[in-house]
Amino acid sequence: MHSFDVTNPDTYIEMEAWERLRSIIDPELHVNIIDLGLVYTIRANSTARMLVVVMTLSSPGCPVGEAILQGVANCLEARFVDYKTDVQLTWEPAWGFDNITEEGKKQLWG
Amino acid sequence: MNMITKQHPELYRIVRAHYLASAVCFVLIGVLFFFASADFAGHYFQPKLLAITHLAALGWVTMVIFGAAYQLVPVILETGLSGYRLPWLSFVAFLSGLVLLVCSFWRFEPGLCMQGGALLLLTGMLGFTIVIFLTGKRLKNKKENIHQEMINTSCIWLLATGVLGVLLVFNLRYAFLPQDHLQFLRLHAHMGMGGWFLLLVIGVSSKLVPMFLVSRKQNLRLLDWVYYLLNGGLLAFVIDTYLEGINNRTYLIALLPTAAFIIYFIYLIQCYRSRMKRRLDLPMMYTMLSFILLLAALLIQPLIINAHVQNITQGIALTKLYGLLVLMGWLSLLILGQAFKTLPFLVWLKIYGPGTGKEPTPLPSDLYSQKLLIIQGIAFTGFILSMITMALSGLATPARIASGCLLLTALCYLLNLTRVLTHKKTTGHA
Repeated sequence: MHSFDVTNPDTYIEMEAWERLRSIIDPELHVNIIDLGLVYTIRANSTARMLVVVMTLSSPGCPVGEAILQGVANCLEARFVDYKTDVQLTWEPAWGFDNITEEGKKQLWG
Repeated sequence: MNMITKQHPELYRIVRAHYLASAVCFVLIGVLFFFASADFAGHYFQPKLLAITHLAALGWVTMVIFGAAYQLVPVILETGLSGYRLPWLSFVAFLSGLVLLVCSFWRFEPGLCMQGGALLLLTGMLGFTIVIFLTGKRLKNKKENIHQEMINTSCIWLLATGVLGVLLVFNLRYAFLPQDHLQFLRLHAHMGMGGWFLLLVIGVSSKLVPMFLVSRKQNLRLLDWVYYLLNGGLLAFVIDTYLEGINNRTYLIALLPTAAFIIYFIYLIQCYRSRMKRRLDLPMMYTMLSFILLLAALLIQPLIINAHVQNITQGIALTKLYGLLVLMGWLSLLILGQAFKTLPFLVWLKIYGPGTGKEPTPLPSDLYSQKLLIIQGIAFTGFILSMITMALSGLATPARIASGCLLLTALCYLLNLTRVLTHKKTTGHA
């Protein structure tokens, strides 16, 4: 799980970015990508005006993968207009069911 | 790193063409079913039933399988489709072949039209097989998985079924096959149903069902057993029935595919029990229920074999029921469910994919009408019940009710499909 350094002002941007990304919903599972555990890290750099998101998908063949990645970029660029967003996709570690948060599990179970 | 399967713009058009052509065929089946309702009382080998069966097996089921495979095989194999021109060529050849074959069966004119139609259909099948094999070759991880093996083997069975079908068409004119035409028809039907439909559906659904249910447990070793038992059983059936016809050994041979299906059923139950998503939506409910219809069909098998071995006339009614349960029961319900699980994604990605995250968007499940899906399910249940009554009693009234219910099911399906395909961009959850 991600950690926050309250002495670093960039932390507040990162925290807001985490919350913003809860609006990106997996269209099949109807659960947001944060609670699905797809986002690994978010790093903000206020000097370079840069936001770097490292995330994964449930599988490389995920049919909505491209839309989710685009959604992350769109969502952050709309909020942090003077920041450049870089969404990096990684397969390591691979996504698994253990990535899903307790809240995500509750939402899935309905 | 950073590699994902992107949706090619041409993919949407290819898949849409296949789904629409298939839905029109389904409506036509409903109409033809009505005009041929009296013929269902007789033997299964007669012109109108041959026309309807081929319209169902090729136009309704195989056509939608081709379309769905172009969409789903890249998802399952985690690579892009090998090309987009060959699927179009295959589609044109397949559709024109289908029209020629079905029309010539209906009027029973085993001449050039029927032969040309059969050859065009085979060309379409060959095109599809090449696309699937070439797509598999693009895999970066060369190690084949069981899903890919099932899909590839099912394509080989499809071609074998098609080749035998062409031979049977020419045999109607030139009578060159060494044995009874019905003997080969039996082999042709089982190669198609078991080797093509069942193997492909298991190969694809064994990957998609746990994906849609978010299942923790996927016992892939069970699928190895399914693969070998099903193919072994089919090969044994084809060789033994060719040499000896239906005999006492057929009981034992039938156990192999039945065991394969029971193991697959266990696999599905394990996926269902270990699911993280509690509620099944209607399309998934229809999908799961469809397998019960297949189980019912398999349970009839020993009775059919017994009727053939004992030379009892009830075998004809049971064979019709078996064919109807597989083709119009299991496969139809599977399509009626899965179409609304897969197609809305394709449309959603095209319309909303690039703008996700900018504004609230409807979900893919908002693209189809729940009400139409419920009516479709009720009409289909009516069809199944009256169809079973019709097949067992041979009466005309249940046949007419069945045709009415089938037509209503087909119209609901076509309407809902059109609703998905003509969806216009809206914002916010519907």
